Amino acid sequence: MEEKRPLGEDFNASDSENAETTADNERLASNQKGWRPVNKMPPQVLRLFLLAFGIVVSYSIARYFLTPPSFRQYGWFRGEAITELQAREPVFAGKKACEECHSDEMAKLLKHEHKTLSCEGCHGPGQAHADNPDVKIGQQNYSPCVRCHEANPSRPKWHKQIVLKNHYTGSKCTECHVPHAPSEVP
Amino acid sequence: MSLSRRSLIAKVGATLAGVLAAPVARTAKAAVQKILVSTGAARGYDPTKHKWVMAIDANRCIGCGLCAEACKKENHVPEGPYYRTWIERYIITKPRPGSGVARGETLVDCPEGGMHGFPEPTVPKEEIQHSFFVPKLCNLCEHSPCVQVCPVGATFDAPDGAVLIDPKYCIGCGFCIQACPYGCRFLNPVTKTAEKCTLCYHRITRGLKPACVEVCPTQSRVFGDLKNPVPDDPIQHFYENNKVQALKPHLGTEPRVFYAGIDKEVR
Repeated sequence: MEEKRPLGEDFNASDSENAETTADNERLASNQKGWRPVNKMPPQVLRLFLLAFGIVVSYSIARYFLTPPSFRQYGWFRGEAITELQAREPVFAGKKACEECHSDEMAKLLKHEHKTLSCEGCHGPGQAHADNPDVKIGQQNYSPCVRCHEANPSRPKWHKQIVLKNHYTGSKCTECHVPHAPSEVP
Repeated sequence: MSLSRRSLIAKVGATLAGVLAAPVARTAKAAVQKILVSTGAARGYDPTKHKWVMAIDANRCIGCGLCAEACKKENHVPEGPYYRTWIERYIITKPRPGSGVARGETLVDCPEGGMHGFPEPTVPKEEIQHSFFVPKLCNLCEHSPCVQVCPVGATFDAPDGAVLIDPKYCIGCGFCIQACPYGCRFLNPVTKTAEKCTLCYHRITRGLKPACVEVCPTQSRVFGDLKNPVPDDPIQHFYENNKVQALKPHLGTEPRVFYAGIDKEVR
């Protein structure tokens, strides 16, 4: 062990010395050949920077041209979308539109229990009929009376309910009830 | 720093070119955007001057399904299991005697979104402890998870409180459908974009009520504008007469749809 150590040290020392001298020689030689000094930016890094710059510039140009003018009008969205969503035409006209022509029926309705009901709930959507009275209002195929008044344990207790098969076996509720004035007898 | 004649001329030339290029770029931008977007005519509706709110009184809901049906007709929602608003039936059974619990099982069903009413429940009447209907729709969150996850800025909180979707921007990725804690969104099979309750935006901006509120026979659904209270405001009445709560308050979404008369089992 003791014999080997100086040998090794000698070998290592001489080797590192040799390496240093060869490196110095190479550096000198390369400088003389016209290579860039070490402190200058290597070309591959420069190319990366140029590429990044190009990407940023092309993105900025695309963003400048393609962002809609209303984009930040109200927030991080296209403000025009709000106007576009308003453009759809209503299908249900609303109770006020019905009252314009059918004010007598409406007055009758408002005196009785069914005053909170909407006309279009039973008669179907009526915007087409309101725009042009010649267009007939759609009829619902599902009986509007039973839809609300058939007994169901989930329905609130205050609501008037019937078990249809025990209550009536015919097909016309209007034989005994007036839909617009439920407390009256026809 | 010294300037040679050549570099000075180059610099002045570049600045001039830059100044001249700006208006050219602006007109070019306008031309490009004319192709990209169609400017819809403004209707004179200012979204910053409204704050819409919906309140639902489950004590008054009779489960007739008119709201769900009207919503489908009004908004041309495709046939099939797609609903912008729907009604759920909650049935809470009686506990087994001696089991030591206050309530039994909670059963929820929603046949066809409740559009055609509800059949007799499968549980016999004697076993039901409490049962009620809960109309559901977009909860109009103040802090909407759906808006946070949208990668393209297609879904947004409008200044009037409505959470809307820009159908031209939506790419149909479905992130928002997963993010919504209330299950209010679906992918429209026709347009392939996400869709949800818009509070009937085309109606409320015309001064009409949303279709579901319009047809509700018992005034279970109440709709109002917090910035423009009307005399005898239904929203104020709702708050005066009820104990009000919102769905899933622990999520911090701060919904603007309020409920009265629902059990804690409702989620």
